[in-house]
Amino acid sequence: MMKFIITSLLVSTLLFGYQKGDMVSPTISKKLDLKNDKIYIIDFFASWCGSCKEEMPLLIKASQEMDKSKFELIGVDVDEELAKGEAFQKELNISFRVVNDPKNKIIKAFDPLGMPSLYVIKEGKVVDFLFGAKDNIDKLIADELKELSK
Amino acid sequence: MRAISITIALFLLSGCGIKEVKPWEKGTLAKESMKPNGGNVLVGKFVNHIYFSKEATKGGGGVAGGGCGCN
Repeated sequence: MMKFIITSLLVSTLLFGYQKGDMVSPTISKKLDLKNDKIYIIDFFASWCGSCKEEMPLLIKASQEMDKSKFELIGVDVDEELAKGEAFQKELNISFRVVNDPKNKIIKAFDPLGMPSLYVIKEGKVVDFLFGAKDNIDKLIADELKELSK
Repeated sequence: MRAISITIALFLLSGCGIKEVKPWEKGTLAKESMKPNGGNVLVGKFVNHIYFSKEATKGGGGVAGGGCGCN
């Protein structure tokens, strides 16, 4: 009986997205091309998301200011229409690496509660996340990376 | 047997809820065609006119925010 309940609970946890301390699956790591020697900031955005658009210049600034040998900001565009997403990326002059996710396979694995959403990944593990746009996101990222690189 | 029955009952009950729209799926809701007037400006104006004449008020038909579900 107990074994059955525990197994059911374990199975049910698989239905939720990544939480702090969870390992990113090898499939998702491969899709995002994650290595263990860097700390990654994963930003999920879309062309229809107004807050993502507003926040993007600060993210570009943050990616340009970070030490690229230690950190990398990766954007994940979840637009279902690839052409729309690519036009959006071009319009905003996004200078960091963007992975297009038109079938939403990557974002489904993370299962964030809102958009835009940021995930911090260190050694293949989710160490922090943030949902919604922030006015000072560049500063928040810089502080987080400073803390993590200690 | 009892445990299996309870689990099956719980599993079936969990399927009764309305499936939530995930944040990344809200792009569909943000589309012009999802508006009550289907994106047709003329129909929209016509509907607003009826609403205005019946209720003696107007506005409040829009949705604030970017449809990202973060607010």
